[in-house]
Amino acid sequence: MPDPTIAQSSTHDIVVSGQGVGKTFADGSVIALQDAHFNIKRGSFVSLVGPSGCGKSTLLRLISGLIPPTSGEIAVHGTPVTGPRADISMMFQKATLLDWRTAIENVLLPTEINGTPTKADKNRAFDLLKLVGLEDFAFSFPAQLSGGMQQRVALARLLQTGADILLLDEPFGALDEFTREHLNLELMRIVQEVGATAFFVTHNIAEAIFLADQVVVMTSRPGRMAKIVDVDLERPRPLSIQTSVEFNKLVEDVRETLGEM
Amino acid sequence: MAVQDAIPAPQAVEDTAGTVRRKRILRHAGIFLTLILMWEFGSRIGWLDPLFYPRPSNIMRSFWLIYFQNGNVWYHLYATMSLVFLGWIGGSILGIGLGSLVGFNSVLRRFLKPYVIVLEATPRIAVAPLLIAALGFGASSKIAIIVLVCFFAPFINTLSGVMNVDEDRLELFRSMRASKMQVLRKLVLPDAVPIIMAGERLALTAALSGALVAEFIQRDEGIGSLILVYTRNLNMASAFACIFTLTILGFLIFKGMEKIDFYVAFWKYEGGRERVSAKRRAAMEGPDHA
Ligand SMILES: Nc1ncnc2c1ncn2[C@@H]1O[C@H](COP(=O)(O)OP(=O)(O)OP(=O)(O)O)[C@@H](O)[C@H]1O
Ligand SMILES: [Mg+2]
Repeated sequence: MPDPTIAQSSTHDIVVSGQGVGKTFADGSVIALQDAHFNIKRGSFVSLVGPSGCGKSTLLRLISGLIPPTSGEIAVHGTPVTGPRADISMMFQKATLLDWRTAIENVLLPTEINGTPTKADKNRAFDLLKLVGLEDFAFSFPAQLSGGMQQRVALARLLQTGADILLLDEPFGALDEFTREHLNLELMRIVQEVGATAFFVTHNIAEAIFLADQVVVMTSRPGRMAKIVDVDLERPRPLSIQTSVEFNKLVEDVRETLGEM
Repeated sequence: MAVQDAIPAPQAVEDTAGTVRRKRILRHAGIFLTLILMWEFGSRIGWLDPLFYPRPSNIMRSFWLIYFQNGNVWYHLYATMSLVFLGWIGGSILGIGLGSLVGFNSVLRRFLKPYVIVLEATPRIAVAPLLIAALGFGASSKIAIIVLVCFFAPFINTLSGVMNVDEDRLELFRSMRASKMQVLRKLVLPDAVPIIMAGERLALTAALSGALVAEFIQRDEGIGSLILVYTRNLNMASAFACIFTLTILGFLIFKGMEKIDFYVAFWKYEGGRERVSAKRRAAMEGPDHA
């Protein structure tokens, strides 16, 4: 939970910051991420783009506390990250639902891990399923849902945690173009609605810009944050914004950075 | 009904499917009857030695004899079944318990692996005479034999079920700060249920074979000793009646395990999912939204 004293004393509204963050694997022979610096403001939507193997997933797993950095430090709400924490929640490329639980029971899993779900928790889970458009499928099992629907259940589960920092690692990457676009719009709306800070990994440059306040462009071998591009497009954004001149300038900017390596 | 009258197409499709099914059953019954009749007449006119291949009609008479007229088979059936059941339960507890223990403890796993391989390569039934020598004749050595032959499938399956937990799901649980116990109870064990059940199915079949071998050796009671006695007295018809009894038993065991699987691993079956889905809906909506 955000600590008001720290929020006031630190510069503005930085919720996630990294100082010289690095991560190596296999006894240092694989440099997954090198010397990353960043300060992310509360409520930002941050997209991460870059070629395969440039350390995007590694960065998310570092922020989530699933793995410790080899060098540098990551702080969330002013306190160093030492392990998984309640104010951060993560969603993966695969839905990772539990097959023996109904949709609503899957959404309730994080609450169950923290204690016994109350009636209020159950109502909240129902509301979240409604939010992702699955109120009629609350009692369906994952095997009875399409891939897109499963991913939406995972999204509801992500929000059920009540965390205000959401990490999404190519959450809709395995889905078809239409479903993905639809879910992206939903995600953008929901994240704004709950006022969360989001980190969103994608391979698609247009998608990254369309959703984000900031695009972190990463390059590989070794994985680095090459540039952080600010996206000053007005919200709410219609899909048609992607044909505008400003939008395409941003696409150019990201492309150039990616091509420079 | 009215809806079906209005839309005749699905009805027609169902009818043809039903007809096809009926035809197939009839064909199978026909082939079966022909075989039985050939056996019967082959035995009557001397093509088959009636001593070793008793006529089907004689086998039928033996069935009547051992089940109703003498009724002596019931006692032995009960003896065999209780052995199978006790041994199976014992073997399952041992197998699942040991499997989870070894699955969770990597040190134990490394230590036990060579023994597991040796045990896997040895036909476990070969140890039966040693067990009898150690435990003496009687129920305890019989049950020990069954436990020995049937614990392995649940053991191996539990082990692999527990070890092959999806990495992504494990990471999900870690990111939610689940305790070890929660990971076990909410992820690992439910995830392993289907494969453990498959092991249990194999174990039960193995238990039946184990019981028969134990009875062959001890010759005191049970279907196995009954078969032995009948064969020695050259009463082949009754021996066959016992063997077919085991066929039916094996089939019932298979069906029973299928039924149990449908309930405990319900999410693998469409019907199971629908059943539980409706139940969970009723459970949650009933008191909350009344
Ligand atoms: N657990 C690990 N052990 C060893 N090497 C790893 C591990 N995790 C990641 N790496 C290496 O770190 C580098 C960055 O991996 P990462 O998964 O962060 O890339 P990514 O940007 O997410 O790629 P993709 O877009 O393909 O998902 C890769 O070279 C990868 O091989
Ligand atoms: Mg990745």
